[in-house]
Amino acid sequence: MTTPESIRKGIEGGLDCKHIEVAGDGQHFEAVIVSAAFAGKSRVQRHQLVYAVLGERMREEIHALSMRTLTPEEWGG
Amino acid sequence: MSIQDVIQEQVSSHQVVLYMKGSPQMPQCGFSAMAIQVLQALGVSQPFTVDVLQNPEIRQGIKEFANWPTIPQLYIKGEFVGGSDIMREMYQSGELKKLLEGVQAG
Repeated sequence: MTTPESIRKGIEGGLDCKHIEVAGDGQHFEAVIVSAAFAGKSRVQRHQLVYAVLGERMREEIHALSMRTLTPEEWGG
Repeated sequence: MSIQDVIQEQVSSHQVVLYMKGSPQMPQCGFSAMAIQVLQALGVSQPFTVDVLQNPEIRQGIKEFANWPTIPQLYIKGEFVGGSDIMREMYQSGELKKLLEGVQAG
């Protein structure tokens, strides 16, 4: 079963995160992701970045991943 | 006509298009239900919707169209706006209301 922990590791493996939280029940997941890589990017581009890091897992294992994507400045402010 | 052409045609010929699971009256997924509620709260009472559960080719094709792996997906004036998280954030911030100003539903 997909766990929040495995999703967190998957995201961290491809994206330098200042902070990350993932919660979920094995089907639906919620994540707060704080990364400097989001700076200057639109919301759509930020989510696409995370989807790209998760790759095929997004199609095969993860039914739903709700995300808040913030830069360190937005997170702190 | 390829499925990508069909989608391009749909998003070009309607100002507001929501790809969703189920119908506005009977959404089949909580995220699609929320997307419809957001649009209705902003006065788009009858957006043009496409039920991807009724059309497997569009269900697959729409993920490639916007390089976006999840549904719902909202398009306004032919532009991809986002999925349910982004719709909720833009609703709360007032950005979605602004984007819908002057848009004729349907």
